[in-house]
Amino acid sequence: MTWEPTLAHYLILAAGTFSIGVIGVMVRRNALTLFMCIELMLNSVNLTFIAFSKYRVDLDGHIFSFFVMAVAAAEAAVGLAIILHIFRHYRSVNVDEVRQLKN
Amino acid sequence: MGFWEPLFFWIFAVGAVVTSLGVLTFRNPLYSALSLIADFFCFASLYALLSAHFLAITQVLVYAGAIMVLFVFIIMLLNLTEADLGQRQFSLHHILAWVGGIAVFAFTVSTILPLIPTDQVESNRAEARAAGESPRNQSVSTMSTIPGLYADLSESALEARYRDKIRSWSQGESSPADGKYRPFLSDRDFTIPPAMEPGTGQEGRAPRSRSEEQRQGLFGTVEPVSILLVNRFVVPFELTAILLLAAIMGAVIIAKKRL
Repeated sequence: MTWEPTLAHYLILAAGTFSIGVIGVMVRRNALTLFMCIELMLNSVNLTFIAFSKYRVDLDGHIFSFFVMAVAAAEAAVGLAIILHIFRHYRSVNVDEVRQLKN
Repeated sequence: MGFWEPLFFWIFAVGAVVTSLGVLTFRNPLYSALSLIADFFCFASLYALLSAHFLAITQVLVYAGAIMVLFVFIIMLLNLTEADLGQRQFSLHHILAWVGGIAVFAFTVSTILPLIPTDQVESNRAEARAAGESPRNQSVSTMSTIPGLYADLSESALEARYRDKIRSWSQGESSPADGKYRPFLSDRDFTIPPAMEPGTGQEGRAPRSRSEEQRQGLFGTVEPVSILLVNRFVVPFELTAILLLAAIMGAVIIAKKRL
């Protein structure tokens, strides 16, 4: 490994943050933190897109990241609404306690 | 390569990893959210280092500005107490999760990073320098399946590659339309409308000729990204609007008191 950042550096960094997101999704039981870890994973994927985009001198990766951001915004809005509803119903945001889809 | 660029990379890379770990270790979701905001700023800085200026700003505006405000708002609205957060407990489940996550990381890294001696990379660079070629332009040949995995990603490397592309366009070896401003019918000629050409503000005016240096500065800024967005990717761009509309309506309906 070199001191200067290369494509490999960015890919490994993205892999690391993605793995942290994966661990967070598996470890945490709080629905809000779970969502944040999913955002983290989306972000690290964006980083690989942009790194490859610069490596190839091609802007398609930027466009993809842009759409990922748009989808993440939509997902956050709907997800938080669902969490809000779950909290009203169960008085808890612990995902282990949510066992029913209805009633 | 300069001194500051690698330094900033390492600062923000370490910052990104530390704040990501903060997201999953803090027990209070509010601290996690604040850590995630710092994380998004680190990512925005990394995007800026990768010459994705537009996306760096979008990252700050959309993620740190809009999404995280929504998160913090919901966290404060729920007003979780100590009892709601539950006890921190360590179990076999946690250990398995950490082992699984580290296995994901190890597997990913082992696929993108085959065992290559560092001195080979260095010697290839030295060879390129000796041959009078720009080492930044030279992707170092490795055993990897991704050619140029160790290619420099500095600003000067980007400029060198961009200059090569422009040269091949001007020599007619490839066209700027290659995969970019492709018409919907492949047999039909397509020219970029003057208003779409980077550098012209007004329609009808002949495109101002840009020097290569000016063009290089364009990579990743608002102009080229938006040109791509409203030409080649205009259909997904419009579909995004529908998606956001559906998301807004869905969020309002779900969050209503009576479902």
